[in-house]
Amino acid sequence: MSTQVVSIDPMLCTGCRRCADVCPVDAIVGRRNEPQTIDASRCVLCGQCVLTCAAFMSPFDDGAELLPEMLRKRGLAEDDTAPLFAANFRIDRKKVAGMLADPEKTTMVQCAPAVRVSIAEEFGKAPGTLSPGKLAASLRRLGFDYVYDTIFAADVTVMEESSELLQRMETGGTLPMFTSCCPGWVRHVETAWPDLIPHLSSCKSPQQMAGALFKSYGADQVGKTAGEIASVAVMPCTAKKGEAERPEMQNDGFANVDAVLTVTELAAMLKEKDIDLDSLPEEEFDAPLGIYSGAGTIFGASGGVMEAALRTAIAVTSGKDVDESGVAFVESEEEPGVFRASVEVAGKTVRGVIVSGLAHVAPVLEAVRSGDADFEFVEVMCCEGGCVAGGGQPKLLPGVDVADAVARRRKGLHDHDRELPVRAAHRNPAVKALYENFLQKPLGERSHKLLHTHYGKEAGRHE
Amino acid sequence: MHARLSPFILVSASKCIGCRVCELACSAAHQRGGVSVGSLQVPLSPRLYLTSVNNVRVPIGCRHCEDAPCAEVCPNNAIIHTTDGVQVEEDRCVGCKTCLAVCPVGAMEMAQVWKRGKPAMRRVVDPSAPGGVRYEPASLASKCDLCRGREGGPACVDACPEKALTLVDPIEVKRRRNFEAALALSRTYEEV
Repeated sequence: MSTQVVSIDPMLCTGCRRCADVCPVDAIVGRRNEPQTIDASRCVLCGQCVLTCAAFMSPFDDGAELLPEMLRKRGLAEDDTAPLFAANFRIDRKKVAGMLADPEKTTMVQCAPAVRVSIAEEFGKAPGTLSPGKLAASLRRLGFDYVYDTIFAADVTVMEESSELLQRMETGGTLPMFTSCCPGWVRHVETAWPDLIPHLSSCKSPQQMAGALFKSYGADQVGKTAGEIASVAVMPCTAKKGEAERPEMQNDGFANVDAVLTVTELAAMLKEKDIDLDSLPEEEFDAPLGIYSGAGTIFGASGGVMEAALRTAIAVTSGKDVDESGVAFVESEEEPGVFRASVEVAGKTVRGVIVSGLAHVAPVLEAVRSGDADFEFVEVMCCEGGCVAGGGQPKLLPGVDVADAVARRRKGLHDHDRELPVRAAHRNPAVKALYENFLQKPLGERSHKLLHTHYGKEAGRHE
Repeated sequence: MHARLSPFILVSASKCIGCRVCELACSAAHQRGGVSVGSLQVPLSPRLYLTSVNNVRVPIGCRHCEDAPCAEVCPNNAIIHTTDGVQVEEDRCVGCKTCLAVCPVGAMEMAQVWKRGKPAMRRVVDPSAPGGVRYEPASLASKCDLCRGREGGPACVDACPEKALTLVDPIEVKRRRNFEAALALSRTYEEV
């Protein structure tokens, strides 16, 4: 990776160690009252430290005259008025602006589900305000040629991942299977539990699947080649920046995703261009890679990947289409953040576990390691509550109830799911067309090449 | 709040961890915006200042002095005593910095003023400039106003994760001390 994705500026860090309280992997190193550093061998790039940090450069601080230089080093304009905080993530706005200005490039952008329930906060709205149409319009105003959606790829992920689970169950493959959509979680397995890597689904994350499809199927659709496409992702997540740069996340020499913007970066780019999200009309995402179902939508809230997979698994195996799986996952008092349920699929009992927050995952993984796992499928989201609580989301001000804001964003996604005409991935007409015209079938040859990967090669690497 | 003595914000040095949440909350409370840092419309300009010396970290801010030197020396009557403490009337400030020089704790700053998302400019006579004048951002006296008009009181007190800040009503403190002292005496009396 070019520069460290998440870092702490020693000029600004006061050593309060509030970041250490929220770090799920104990990666913040340092003594109280002294600048902290990040242990790159443990850090999963989740960005929770960035959300928490309040150590900003005040105009009255010694060294405030260095501000223009500090802004420049952070990838910002010297006259940018945004506050600089000690804990920060790499800003990729210039890179994206360059792609938008490049006449040789056709730009395709995707945005993750959780972006549409948070970006309005940067424009003064309440947490959880749902704004998919305005989000699509804003990306178009910014100059993206094709405004697509990560949710389309999340629907594809459902198809691939549920097929993989059924295949593993039928062929005696490694079980339980772990979801692989969350790059913080994947990195944690690679760095802290490397013996469990075979449990990770071979599926790329929806971000990477979308990128891989942009430069193949998507490029074909618009009469371009992979090399002519600039693939940009807008994510609620800082770890997605690292994921996009993993060497295995490319096909035919082209990176699936060329640049990742967080929600805060996109909001800043819109403001720079005087694009006011709130006053934009509601527009549609572009077809076909921007057509999505309610199942992919709830990927942004923890538990959503499980629910989305169950909707399709139940329908495909029983022939009975359901809008909701009806399976209630229950959190026990002994295991906060861990939710369990079992469901009958094709005459077999599938026992699922949902872990919401990396800090809660260790007992579940211990059970897998010791062979005591009494479950087949595990969904883990690094950030508590899911991507709605990701490190690339709007940084909430002191006094704002974070748990309440996360709950409102989750509700926004579930409301959106309920209002969509199609609520299961396999019924998404654009997904059906993708399989009919291009991929042929889940886990097929093209899927294998474009949508699946091998995790583990990156273990221990950071920069 | 008792009007006889002005309230002020007291910080516990043993509790403060130096996180600057108070400064962030203060900055946000004095401008328009929503729930996120990105929704704020102008740069942060705190009215208390985290200060480090040895191993002590504390935010320093206005004590709302009863015989406030800043108000005494202001040549333009821009600093006045009110029932909400010592307040700066920004519109009258000329930026002379006398208040800054006399404040015993360094509570006063000269801060940029922003109007409608743009810095307020002042006209400076400069014979070398074209037309004999130039414009530069205005810096005016800025200090703690105890979040006058904010429901819930001072934002810094609300926000401190360590509860190191307290809004002190001096008369209430005095009354409580009187009561505690009397209580202690009464116990002694009973024992005797």
